[in-house]
Amino acid sequence: MVRYKSRYLLCELCVSDQSSLQLLDERAVFAAVRGAVSSAHGDYGSALCSASFAVKYLNAHTGVVFLRCRKSHYRVLWSALPFITSVESRGQRVPCFFNCLHIGGTIRTCQKFLIRYNTQQLHRMLRLCHSEAERLEVRKAVLSCSLKSLEKEEEAEDGYGDEEV
Amino acid sequence: MSQPALYERLVFKNASVYHYLKIYLILDNDDRKINAVYFKQMIISALRDLYGEIGAAFPFDVLKFEEDTLTAVLRVYNSGLVKLWTALTLLGSYQSEPCAVHVTQVSPFLLALSGNSRELELD
Repeated sequence: MVRYKSRYLLCELCVSDQSSLQLLDERAVFAAVRGAVSSAHGDYGSALCSASFAVKYLNAHTGVVFLRCRKSHYRVLWSALPFITSVESRGQRVPCFFNCLHIGGTIRTCQKFLIRYNTQQLHRMLRLCHSEAERLEVRKAVLSCSLKSLEKEEEAEDGYGDEEV
Repeated sequence: MSQPALYERLVFKNASVYHYLKIYLILDNDDRKINAVYFKQMIISALRDLYGEIGAAFPFDVLKFEEDTLTAVLRVYNSGLVKLWTALTLLGSYQSEPCAVHVTQVSPFLLALSGNSRELELD
């Protein structure tokens, strides 16, 4: 069996205003990246890159983006990413830049890296805490937000919304 | 491990860092005049269309351009030869008029372009 090998680029979307991340969707990111590749590498580059290019995942809360492209030509995509200065979404221009954190062969390794990276970031931030109370506060906040409870909350919110309507 | 090598492998790589291309331009409109600057601009825009801003950023020179016959000699680093050649091939229009570029000779040595064996007239 032969399979197509891909590269997954784990990127972080950096925006000045966190709330504007909510405006973004996968299609907008796709169009922005496609446009950047086409202007940086021309018809040839965008044709190389368009085979199996996809935005696999976009987290509108944290700005984490997974981009997939063929292993043989991921450099084309990679080198075009710094030239993106804004993403156009729903008629609005969101100024932003892409910070490429990791390049992996599977989504799984990228996810592992992301978890490790976020842990590192947390440790770095914790050092900035001034008092023990603050540290405990952060600890409590981290422990309180698991994926399960979030889902439950969302369900609850949805249910509540329905009732209101 | 410490035994000296009995033979030495010599590899001769092409000594020239450049390739030279002799090309000529065919314009649909015969009475249009074009000078060397516009000619180079045309090639650069063809490169940019095909390879974009990054891909087209490699140096090449127009060594000679004859305005009456529309022939030119280009010099390009070996690494950029394929890109330049493909861009020339796919060049299809100049100021929205059809045109074409013929690559007649390519050589790593400029002297080779002084004669063309295909145009030899044998007695």
